[in-house]
Amino acid sequence: MSSQTTKLKVDPRDGKLAMAHFYVAFIALTLGGLMGLLQTLVRSGKFELPWGIDYYQILTVHGVLMGLVLTTFFIMGFQYAAISRTAGTHSPAARRIGWIGFWVMTVGTIMAATMVLLKEASVLYTFYAPLKAHWIFYLGMTFVVIGSWLDGAAQIMTYARWRRENPGKPSPLLSFMAIINTVMWIVASLGVAATVLFQLLPWSLGLVDTVDVLVSRTLFWYFGHPLVYFWLLPAYMCWYAIIPKIIGGKIFSDSLARLSFILFLLFSIPVGFHHQLTEPGIDPAWKFLQVILTFMVIIPSLMTAFSLFATFERFGRSKGATGLFGWFKVLPWKDARFTVPFIGMASFIPAGAGGIINASNQMNQVVHNTIWVTGHFHLTAATSVVLTFFGITFWLVPHLTGRVLTKAMNKLAIIQGWVWFIGMAFMSGAMHFQGLLGGPRRSAYSTYGDSAQAMEWIPYQIAQAVGGSILFLGIILMIIIFVNLAFFAPKGEEEFPVGEAENLDEKAPMIFENWKLWLGITAALILFAYTIPFIDMIQNAPPGSPGFKTWGSW
Amino acid sequence: MAKAELKTNKKTEIEDSSSLKGTLASVFFLGIFLVVTWLSVYFLFLDRF
Repeated sequence: MSSQTTKLKVDPRDGKLAMAHFYVAFIALTLGGLMGLLQTLVRSGKFELPWGIDYYQILTVHGVLMGLVLTTFFIMGFQYAAISRTAGTHSPAARRIGWIGFWVMTVGTIMAATMVLLKEASVLYTFYAPLKAHWIFYLGMTFVVIGSWLDGAAQIMTYARWRRENPGKPSPLLSFMAIINTVMWIVASLGVAATVLFQLLPWSLGLVDTVDVLVSRTLFWYFGHPLVYFWLLPAYMCWYAIIPKIIGGKIFSDSLARLSFILFLLFSIPVGFHHQLTEPGIDPAWKFLQVILTFMVIIPSLMTAFSLFATFERFGRSKGATGLFGWFKVLPWKDARFTVPFIGMASFIPAGAGGIINASNQMNQVVHNTIWVTGHFHLTAATSVVLTFFGITFWLVPHLTGRVLTKAMNKLAIIQGWVWFIGMAFMSGAMHFQGLLGGPRRSAYSTYGDSAQAMEWIPYQIAQAVGGSILFLGIILMIIIFVNLAFFAPKGEEEFPVGEAENLDEKAPMIFENWKLWLGITAALILFAYTIPFIDMIQNAPPGSPGFKTWGSW
Repeated sequence: MAKAELKTNKKTEIEDSSSLKGTLASVFFLGIFLVVTWLSVYFLFLDRF
């Protein structure tokens, strides 16, 4: 699958840009993680924030840093390096665009962070209207999105060059996957760009007095659901195309991997209504349609599960494993590059099961706006995705810095993975159960006038604080590992593993690279799912809402 | 004794290295898990609403 022209090592000039992204990502992890710890402590009822710091302020910092900054920076750095490794070194022009993208994102992050610290933007990472932040916060978020487009443009340029130089050949799998994710991200972020540029910025600048809440929430969720797939697909890149090489096996099927990514492109976007199932003002028929499309996304997820089990079983049997599950034992459990992402994969089973429950219309009423949902995305994003990102860090950072993952660091990395798993089992598990008992999300500690129902939640909140503390220990371990790999590990050559397909004669069909076709279907599905409901929302719009600031000033 | 030997031979034949029966069992377990979790919340819904 990989062409002979590809280089085995990422060019140091590309490596530098990827590392710049990772520095910001890991600073975000450190600060965002500390905020997460504080939140769980506040919600235990045993701790109050000092110096007038507000719960919703730290909640905003946590959500923005973890959900938007850590993820976007890590993903862009990883994809930039993966394309450089498999489709060839980026051109100076592409690299320049990549650097501009990096700085635009960084400046945007600083602008948004400053406003949150000044208590001008405690609007949580979803920045739902009519909560109104300072305009600099919205402008900062716009910069993050525009910067990511520039980063994406650099990747697309290098992919396009590879296609020109290799006519009629399927592109390298990792490059293809990265480009699918970038394209999905660009199409999806048009929604959030639209609400910020046309609604929230003019409104926060005082140019208009009111905002159409339903339209802005709908545009947000048009973006918000593919956002979670934007986090997940780089993890899938690792599972499909990198993990097979790490364990010494083969990719089960190159074509199956590509098809599942195309299905994600098609079905991740026209599904935002499943986040708005309790929202008035959207016809139930359109909610029903988008729920059906949401369930279509289960197909590529199950294809992925099958393909990974098959890769593991084929590898195990080639090592002489017998019996139904003998292959499971011979997997390289002492290699952190495998074990830590594997914990992430295993976590995706309960995470996915929870997702199917959330998207089912009636059952959404059981869990909507409860802390179950927080528990859910701490399994998907904060375990499956993040542990896979950590697994990538263990070899990619030393690869880029010309160092090696030592035995001691490998051991610490495995401990880190298990610490994370144990902490998350407590925290996310307790969140799921508390949510089923009606415990709300996005709320500071309260006993709600000592009501019996709220009293039931307290033990679960204490369990979340225990889990949060263990997770923070996991973050400290991860920072130690990252700093070691970036600055202190012994010099050497760490491999950038790229898997090969089991059947090299099976060439991926060229139709997979037909962007006109896939973008055409993507656009058709989006127009089908959104046009009529949007016309309905605008034609029958209630009076707009003025802005609200529900939090105090310094 | 001869019989026992025959049995072992048979076993090696079945253990084909390209077998994916573990994968089949795994995806069935996964499917059952999805159905059980979905149904448990579904009954919670029926009970409450």
